[in-house]
Amino acid sequence: MSSSYRLPRAVHTGFDEHGEHEVIELHHGGLDDVLTSVQRTAADLLARSPHAPASLTVRAGVVAVEMTWAATPAPAAVAAAAASQTVPAAAPAAAIGTVLAASTVGVFYRSPSPGAAPFVKEGDQVVPGQQVAIIEAMKLMLPVEADKPGRVVEVLVKDGASVEFGQPLFRLAPIDS
Amino acid sequence: MFGKILIANRGEIAVRVLRACRELGIRTVAVHSTEDKDSAVVHLADQAVQIGPAPSRQSYLNAAAIVEAARATGAEAVHPGYGFLSENPDFAEVCEANGLTFIGPPPDVIATLGDKTAARAAMTAAGLPLLPGSVEPLNDAEGAARLADEIGYPVIIKAAAGGGGRGMSIVEDPVEFSRSYQQTRATAQTLFGDGRVYVERYLPSARHVEIQVLCDGYGNAVHLGERDCSVQRRHQKLVEETPAPGLPAELTARMGEAAVRGALATGYLGAGTFEFIVDTENNFYFMEVNCRIQVEHPVTEAVTGVDLITEQIRIAAGERLRLKQEDIRRGGVAIECRVNVEDPDRNFVPTPGRLEKFVPPGGPFVRVDTHGFAGYKVPAAYDSLLAKVIVWAPDREGAIRRMRRALAEFTIEGPGVHTTREFLDRVLRDPLFVEAKHDTGLVARILGD
Repeated sequence: MSSSYRLPRAVHTGFDEHGEHEVIELHHGGLDDVLTSVQRTAADLLARSPHAPASLTVRAGVVAVEMTWAATPAPAAVAAAAASQTVPAAAPAAAIGTVLAASTVGVFYRSPSPGAAPFVKEGDQVVPGQQVAIIEAMKLMLPVEADKPGRVVEVLVKDGASVEFGQPLFRLAPIDS
Repeated sequence: MFGKILIANRGEIAVRVLRACRELGIRTVAVHSTEDKDSAVVHLADQAVQIGPAPSRQSYLNAAAIVEAARATGAEAVHPGYGFLSENPDFAEVCEANGLTFIGPPPDVIATLGDKTAARAAMTAAGLPLLPGSVEPLNDAEGAARLADEIGYPVIIKAAAGGGGRGMSIVEDPVEFSRSYQQTRATAQTLFGDGRVYVERYLPSARHVEIQVLCDGYGNAVHLGERDCSVQRRHQKLVEETPAPGLPAELTARMGEAAVRGALATGYLGAGTFEFIVDTENNFYFMEVNCRIQVEHPVTEAVTGVDLITEQIRIAAGERLRLKQEDIRRGGVAIECRVNVEDPDRNFVPTPGRLEKFVPPGGPFVRVDTHGFAGYKVPAAYDSLLAKVIVWAPDREGAIRRMRRALAEFTIEGPGVHTTREFLDRVLRDPLFVEAKHDTGLVARILGD
């Protein structure tokens, strides 16, 4: 079996040029999907890594993505070998930590009601059990709670967007001691 | 016609439904658990939504997640396949309440026909023959025992909410009745959350013959002939064929007419199956209705040339049935074998694992419906059906030869993976099967149980 056959043809999530998740952006085929998959894989690997690596290479068929980090926490450059497409790194080195993922399919809301302040914003510290968002499924408002302590470094989903089971919602960094 | 359909299932039937959608020019949404994210239907679908973790209860039985996935992707209809939510009236109702078309009968019809005692009452009213037994559920052991005496032994006690061969016990002798009655009630309560049971006469050497029907929403219905599913192991079908060997065409025509009458009387919509039991004197009795497409539907497709899934979708979209009874012409013989990842030498224990080699058979008049591919990891979380091999030939002898040839070609290898392929060949060369003198006891005899 060729390696390209193993790549998902229906891609669930992608990154836009600002490095944020576009939610359930489901589309089909082509080099863009491969790039998106590779980028997502790289971002997932980074999120799970306890330390920021100096470089990361993900290769799938003819597509390869290399990421390198400077000593200063500036956005790293991403070079795709098969296409002259440059996007900012999905996560700066400082954002290494854990991801809080959706526990159900539904609509993601950052605040308790329209116009209200969000439950949490970037930079906030959260404790286990703290409500950080709502997912609405079948007209039920299901609270999303932090499962471990951390600092919110990135909100990965736009308010009001649809999410699927297991989709990353927040990137959390360990709290500095 | 729908622009986009969500397929609320997995495995081979999800791929089968997707293919029908493609041919109709309908876009598809696959929903999948975390365990199935690299599955065939996810690779093939236009869109895919992950709806939950591996356990079915949180994914393929999670009505809320499926409806949300349909809403998020703009799907207009849901095809439930078989199993999972396919015969769940609450799911059908939730779909309708959310503006989605459930591809199947209306919720109240599913509810009536899903309850075996209610179905028996409805079919009695429609004039279908039933085995002697109770129409209403039985609530006290003494009354039930009296009824069993009237019916005559052996009798079978069945759960009103039962299905799939579970929740039933055969009673040979009046002295066993009371204990079996209590046990079946307890089992039914555990399995289905519903302890109601009924009693009917048990026919030890009867044949299970089912009739395929199609009904539109305008009072039109046709039957597409019968299927014989007598090769079973513990009520699980292994080999299915059509036509039912040795049954007079006049008899199956009468069964077909009875099925159409029963379907029209209950307001049935879409594809359905009426199960009958046929005794040694060629009397037939209504058993139950399956309100879904069935695993063995391809044998009917092979001899009629009718694509049943396509018909289901057209009917759900509000189209009129284009087929009339005289248009249904059946030719030749079709057999289906279910290739499961199970080890026949270890009491058919499931053997999930990665398929290192997977080469399905080909050649003339051979069809394989499968979600397998080389490199696919068969998950342990779901049922063991991996592939269905369907062959057609002008006569039964040719169909058996062709099936044995096809099964011999089928290569499935992987660490720890066993299949029923060779066991199926033993069934196909069994003299009783070859002469079509077998009944539901065939597999047990081959195994020496």
